[in-house]
Amino acid sequence: MSHHEHDAAAAHDDHDHKPYGWKRWVYATNHKDIGTMYLVFACIMFFVGGSMALVIRLELFQPGLQFVDPAIFNEMTTVHALLMIFGAVMPAWTGLANWLIPMQVGAPDMALPRLNNFSFWILPFAFMLLIGSLFVPGGGPAGGWTLYPPLVLQGGDSLPMAIFAIHMMGASSILGAINVIVTIMNMRAPGVGLLNMPLFVWTWLITAYLLIAVMPVLAGAVTMLLTDHFFGTSFFSAAGGGDPVMFQHIFWFFGHPEVYILILPAFGIVSEIIPTFSRKPLFGYESMVYASASIAFLSFIVWAHHMFTVGMPLAGQMFFMLSTMLIAIPTGVKVFNWCATMWRGSLTFETPMLFALAFLFLFTCGGFSGLMLAIAPADFQYHDTYFVVAHFHYVLVPGSIFTIMAAVYYWLPKWTGRMYDETLGKWHFWLSAIGVNVLFFPQHFLGLAGMPRRIPDYSVQFSDWNMVSSIGAFIFGFSQLLFVYVVVKAVRSGAKAPARPWEGAHGLEWELPTPAPYHSWTEPPSPALIARGAEH
Amino acid sequence: MTDEATDRSRRVRRNSLLLGAVALAIYVAFIASTVLGLRGP
Repeated sequence: MSHHEHDAAAAHDDHDHKPYGWKRWVYATNHKDIGTMYLVFACIMFFVGGSMALVIRLELFQPGLQFVDPAIFNEMTTVHALLMIFGAVMPAWTGLANWLIPMQVGAPDMALPRLNNFSFWILPFAFMLLIGSLFVPGGGPAGGWTLYPPLVLQGGDSLPMAIFAIHMMGASSILGAINVIVTIMNMRAPGVGLLNMPLFVWTWLITAYLLIAVMPVLAGAVTMLLTDHFFGTSFFSAAGGGDPVMFQHIFWFFGHPEVYILILPAFGIVSEIIPTFSRKPLFGYESMVYASASIAFLSFIVWAHHMFTVGMPLAGQMFFMLSTMLIAIPTGVKVFNWCATMWRGSLTFETPMLFALAFLFLFTCGGFSGLMLAIAPADFQYHDTYFVVAHFHYVLVPGSIFTIMAAVYYWLPKWTGRMYDETLGKWHFWLSAIGVNVLFFPQHFLGLAGMPRRIPDYSVQFSDWNMVSSIGAFIFGFSQLLFVYVVVKAVRSGAKAPARPWEGAHGLEWELPTPAPYHSWTEPPSPALIARGAEH
Repeated sequence: MTDEATDRSRRVRRNSLLLGAVALAIYVAFIASTVLGLRGP
């Protein structure tokens, strides 16, 4: 560390003025504290949702009903999905956005720190409500996370609780997205141009616009469910002149962009990690930006590929089939760019890079099964089978979850000033990578053989692969405890991290002292630092 | 506060309110469009 950096670190330490005790967290306005709370919250929800997944896989270990009755099984599938999407992955991305975006654009904090506090503190109450709904008369929400009427309207007292919880999550996401957009658009340090921002900032900016566009659509859909149930409207009731299929259109108009909300920040993370461990600049930076924007645009015109089997004119099927296939083009641009970044690079395989590579390979596998599902006539066969379950778990687990973990390993030294245990990190990676494939790959076979999703029991011909899948689930699930252990061990007693633990890392956050001071970029970074950080 | 800082905080406030209004408008528009799509009993 140079004298200058020593001075900078000391100056930052003197001005930390960090609040202590519970007030630091309840009244938090510091982006790093709020980022930490989001990440811890996401981790807790990941384990709660993961436990539900293990209940599902335990029940499916062999045919017949062994552990839970069908009603509870349906509650588990429904709440597992809601928790993982809205409680684990989305808050984890917001946590990473909070930690990284101000540091990466040279801003002292998020633009709206008190709104940031409010966005976070809505979440624990939303999820208490959702999880609490499992314990009310009539049981928890059990109609699937897609909440299709008329089934969902036949639920018990849990419906208004689940709907209110979804409204709260939506409000939290919209407020968080507003904060991200104004931070990026209005708080960038002088000299940080749009086209020299890190890819993570770019992908989050696009994600935030998607959130603002589609979370109100979900809110509208569930509001109409609520009025149908309690106030005598008939938006989705055919008997009253409404249309249940209309709900599906509205839901998936939200639901498909939501998929990209869950995955676009992952593209950003991978675009930071692969260049670092390849010791080369990212190949095709601008094409990555345009590809992300194209994916976001296309996500609005493909929604009905989730609904091929509801009955649709042939022209509609053709349109949604072809528009869905178009997404392969910008996604292919990204995959080839990541491969080209590694080409002739000086590669090393530390834990973040291993997770990023697993993402690259397994997300691509999930993308290919997505292309199979996009073919309307083939989808008639695959629809609502385990093939779909395998597809979206390949996209979301090695896609979103692996990259969140890669990001934690990658930036943990900068956040905490401590290194994680590389050997244990690699153990965590290999157990996760093997577990996830043993868990989800056999589900392709089950689906192609005709096993429907969302059932607690099945025909005996599906027994073997279900057993394999359940074994994989337990390997994957329990290996995540190792992740918590590695992170806690690093925070408590990890070796001291250097200012730039990865010599190939570029970006303004790496120009800060390690650990990152409580208040960073109180003075905007100099043009020289910006130029050094912008070597993508 | 400097002029530049005041200006920036004004931009932040204006842009956040605008984005919030867009979100609210989308919420209302989707419910309204479903109301208009109802065929009646």
